[in-house]
Amino acid sequence: MTQVERHEESAAAEPLIVAENVKKHFSVTRGLVFRQTVGQVRAVDGVSFSVPQGQTYSLVGESGCGKTTTAKVVLLVESLTSGTLRFEGRDVSAFTPDQLTEYRASVQAVFQDPWSSLNPRLKVESIIAEPLTAHRRLTKAELREQVLSLLEEVGLHPSHAYRYPHEFSGGQRQRIAIARALALRPKLIVLDEPVSALDVSIRAQIMNLLKQLQIEYNLSYLLIAHQLATVRYMSHKIGVMYLGKIVEEADSHDLFDNPRHPYTRALISASLSSRPGVEREEIVLTGEVPSPIDPPSGCAFHPRCPSVFEPCADETPVIESIAEGHIVSCHLYQQGGR
Amino acid sequence: MNHDVLLEVEDLRTHFFTRTGVVKAVDGVSFTLDRGETLGIVGESGSGKSMTALSLMRLVPEPGGRIVSGRIMFDGEDLLLKDSSEMSVIRGREICMILQDPMTSLNPVLSIGNQLMETYRSDERHSSRDLWERGVDLLRKVRIPAPEIRMRAFPHQMSGGMRQRVVGAIAISRMPSLIIADEPTTSLDATIQLQYLRLLKDIQKETGAAIIFITHDFGIVARMCDRVAVMYAGRIVENADVSELFYNPQHPYTEALLGSVPDLEQDVEWLTSIAGQPPNLDDMPPGCSFEPRCPYAFGRCVEEYPREFLVAQRHRASCWRLDDTG
Repeated sequence: MTQVERHEESAAAEPLIVAENVKKHFSVTRGLVFRQTVGQVRAVDGVSFSVPQGQTYSLVGESGCGKTTTAKVVLLVESLTSGTLRFEGRDVSAFTPDQLTEYRASVQAVFQDPWSSLNPRLKVESIIAEPLTAHRRLTKAELREQVLSLLEEVGLHPSHAYRYPHEFSGGQRQRIAIARALALRPKLIVLDEPVSALDVSIRAQIMNLLKQLQIEYNLSYLLIAHQLATVRYMSHKIGVMYLGKIVEEADSHDLFDNPRHPYTRALISASLSSRPGVEREEIVLTGEVPSPIDPPSGCAFHPRCPSVFEPCADETPVIESIAEGHIVSCHLYQQGGR
Repeated sequence: MNHDVLLEVEDLRTHFFTRTGVVKAVDGVSFTLDRGETLGIVGESGSGKSMTALSLMRLVPEPGGRIVSGRIMFDGEDLLLKDSSEMSVIRGREICMILQDPMTSLNPVLSIGNQLMETYRSDERHSSRDLWERGVDLLRKVRIPAPEIRMRAFPHQMSGGMRQRVVGAIAISRMPSLIIADEPTTSLDATIQLQYLRLLKDIQKETGAAIIFITHDFGIVARMCDRVAVMYAGRIVENADVSELFYNPQHPYTEALLGSVPDLEQDVEWLTSIAGQPPNLDDMPPGCSFEPRCPYAFGRCVEEYPREFLVAQRHRASCWRLDDTG
């Protein structure tokens, strides 16, 4: 795992969470009584990354690339098929029940859709207090005090505590979700498309709030997003995923200024510039993402790749470090490659 | 009237009458669209952009919703004076709509071929062979591989990008002179979105249709449109050519909106965000609807809605700051 070693050297802080060669496969079964496994969906197929303290690591890619499954693995919602997950240097799979409880308190999540992630029958106060009652022993007065200070932190009014989710707009609901995630003072927050369901003018508010909270509490974020401009604004390091694998990883500005993998280039060129008249090369990919049940041989991207050449269909490219903190998995950059 | 003008909307007002009051979803929208031109209507949810599109099609949800005033001159005729059978002919042939979600705009129990041929079946008699070939032709036009096989496929057998292409094929089947695309790519991935936008441009070049893009994505506007209208709380607050709007915005809302979009090309430390929320459409402030969130607001903004000022040629904005008469 050269990738992980290098991270540990270059990252200013010790990584909070490290994923090593994480795999998550789902069985495709047929038959009701005599169940047979007829295939494997390789949703996540050997992903390694690390999130340093106080920084944001982002996973980008199109739907079906496995970014959300990776997030679920980190949240322990999905179990690992193989690989290891280390939290503050310790293997998560060896955790005792107490340590697991502590892990769950330190790793929180904010989801895409604030309309479905908040219980419509609970008042905001109960929503935010829920993680506190589950993990901490607090008196009613302490609980109330904490909820009110959390509301204030995310820019809501104390009187909002006594209302129901339907009384709020999308941006305000996302603030409630953030307050709930902050309640236990976590170390890592998994942000799964936190702004894509929001309006343009509200997105900036929420992104700025998340960045401020990160600085204030030295929070680490694992950000899952598909909108590249958002990712650029939020992240320190970015991993580009394609069919369950990270094909390129680099520091945020490095990835955008100097993308190497043909898929990264295509993805960046397909993201529309936010201003007219910006001259950019436009790489139009043909076809669509293949099925992860039966991924293409060799490099999974080769059927759509504009710079495909001989070894791509047969050999799986290995991860190669091409610059400080910049790795890519493509035959174009392999030793002895073109 | 200028020869090139295809659509002229004047003071369109679509209101919803509810138990608690009148919701002014569209409140005095005026714009013009030339033949072959692409107009982007941008705004946030609730700004009235989709309702403007539905009003153009005369598809405002009833009861409750009603177009209370205005004129929609399409090809020299006022659409608001048409009866419903005349409108349904115009809807199929002259104006077409592409909606956001291709899964719900296609019928799941009919084959793709059936849905394509349906558009031709309504008028003259065609032989079934002729219809089939027209269907295959349409699929080829939107670059669906193996169109003969796809004619027999059902929507669930196709990916989102493909389905959206089929919707596009149905929309262009009658060579309409106006296509209204309401957030056509929000459910698509970036690489598929680019494929689709390119396809729309090609179709436009081929058919000479004008397109109205309803979107909240400035990227799409920058890539696709000739002109942009920015909507806020049921009204167009600024209307200009694309580059003029992006590089010389005059309305504080446009300015703030552009500043709140993260940039793909450069690192930005902090985005400017617009404080507060859009106003409730059933309880609008008497003055400028953006005044409560506007950093430049002054006395007059609270009292009176600003009229439209001509900033430059083809560039209009409604803001009292532009009033130099007093």
